[in-house]
Amino acid sequence: MAETEKYDRADREILAAMGKPGRLYLLVLAFTVTLVASGFLCWYHQYRVGLGVAGYTHPVNWAVYITNFVFWVGIAHSGTLISAVLYLFRARFRTSFNRPAEAMTVFALMVAGLFPLIHLGRPWVFYYLFPYPNQRQLWVNFRSPLIWDVFAVGTYFTVSVVFFYVGLIPDLAIVRRCKEGIRKTIYSVLSLGWEGTRRQWRHYNMLYLFLAAFATPLVASVHSVVSWDFAMSILPGWHTTIFAPYFVAGAIFSGTAMVITLVVPMRKILVLDRYITDDHFESIAKILLFTSLIVSYAYVVETGLAWYGGNVFEIELFRYRAWGHYKALFWTMITCNSLVPLTLFARRLRRNIAYLFCVSLLVNVGMWVERFVIIVSSLARDFDPYVWDTQMYRPTFVEVGITLGSFGMFFTLYLIFLKTLPVLSITEIKEHL
Amino acid sequence: MAKPMIFHEKEEFLKTLRRLVREGVAKERIRVITPFSVAEVEEILPRMPSHVQVFALAGAASGTVGGFAFTILSTLSWPLIVGGKPIVSIPPFIIIAFALTILFGALSTFLGFLLLSRLPSIRRIRSVEEYGNAFVITVEPEEAK
Repeated sequence: MAETEKYDRADREILAAMGKPGRLYLLVLAFTVTLVASGFLCWYHQYRVGLGVAGYTHPVNWAVYITNFVFWVGIAHSGTLISAVLYLFRARFRTSFNRPAEAMTVFALMVAGLFPLIHLGRPWVFYYLFPYPNQRQLWVNFRSPLIWDVFAVGTYFTVSVVFFYVGLIPDLAIVRRCKEGIRKTIYSVLSLGWEGTRRQWRHYNMLYLFLAAFATPLVASVHSVVSWDFAMSILPGWHTTIFAPYFVAGAIFSGTAMVITLVVPMRKILVLDRYITDDHFESIAKILLFTSLIVSYAYVVETGLAWYGGNVFEIELFRYRAWGHYKALFWTMITCNSLVPLTLFARRLRRNIAYLFCVSLLVNVGMWVERFVIIVSSLARDFDPYVWDTQMYRPTFVEVGITLGSFGMFFTLYLIFLKTLPVLSITEIKEHL
Repeated sequence: MAKPMIFHEKEEFLKTLRRLVREGVAKERIRVITPFSVAEVEEILPRMPSHVQVFALAGAASGTVGGFAFTILSTLSWPLIVGGKPIVSIPPFIIIAFALTILFGALSTFLGFLLLSRLPSIRRIRSVEEYGNAFVITVEPEEAK
């Protein structure tokens, strides 16, 4: 077989995913769109009636919306780890995951960006968060962690979009070749007239290297900044120096789990077994196991810090987390994030794709619950013992609806991606064929 | 326009490229199109430095300087003490400057790539010669130099 035939086959097999959608795809899409619609309806209800429809109760004034924000920003992190960090380390298995992971990063950040707005009492003045010249000559408070968030997440989103798009350019030129009519025009414009000349490849490789280098520090910095939203306060359970590395490890952990959750069904449905092998899954399972160990270590350390710190409020908070109102969630978190991933020490289980998929689902649940436990249980046990047991925060249907809507939005965007853009990095795969 | 030589095997393509260079064809006249980045091409033909890094450095440096200038000057324009912290609080401003360093660096590198690669090319968007997954060598006629 001529070498180019091998490449043609790769083009055909990977681009087959962009074919006419089947009934199952449309059914799943209809379901996720329904979730989005109900989420927006709930948000509209909150917009009309006010933030009172959320279950906030003093002193729990940050809850599910902020949990979702931290969760989705965290999900985004693994995409950058796989596409940028593993690129710099020349890890070859990244080529099987980088495109879905980069798409996941962009979509997760789009979803995450909505939550600070949903959480605002007056979402229509959200632009107060941005530093812009105004008549009153007022500027934002650059010493506030919330403004750091705007800069960190804004930069992260922009750089991720550029990185995602740059990776797509040579692949879009391949799609252009296979399409006709208006589709050909659209992909021609998107591929910018890419030809694959030596000059283009030389500058492209340099661009990719530099973008990877710029994106790599973001893996550590963005979730550190998000963690400082909490750690800069004096609240027991939040005010701790380990928050930045703890959050970064958690972000990579949850993001890796989400990559597995997305790629396992994608490989099965789109028949991509030739390009995403069990070896690749085993490598990514090792990242999952490694980050799980870091997260578990952080759980132990923060409890140890409270124990040896001698602060009664801090000690009471950690007792409350494990044995108080939210104990079921705390133990769910420990089970899903620390205990279940330990089974991945067994090679046989790391290579069992169905099992790995189940573990990834549990980790997704565990990491969402972890953020809820950190945020809500800490606020519920602050310095005001009078309210400790008089009222308990419970999410309302509006918060649940918006949360489900966010999952719906993420999966809707991902499903649209599957049918409109190449699901794997074709040119990179050809390099290794 | 010279007739392109089309190859379906990478090794055959590289062999021809090496032969052309050995025969003394001016390297500037050789135009190569590949379906993916082929490292050997850069070894055979003279390594031309990519100036994309100049854009990366300029963008990143302007982000750092701009980030500090923006935070310091805007707080000085309304010197209000918040939370007992100094008006010019360098540690939090580092975070803003860091974010802008990355942002401007990445955007400027992308812009540099577009300029140096002459993209987007309207002419190529409208009609591009498609070679599929073949490796292509075109030797431009001498007078075209």
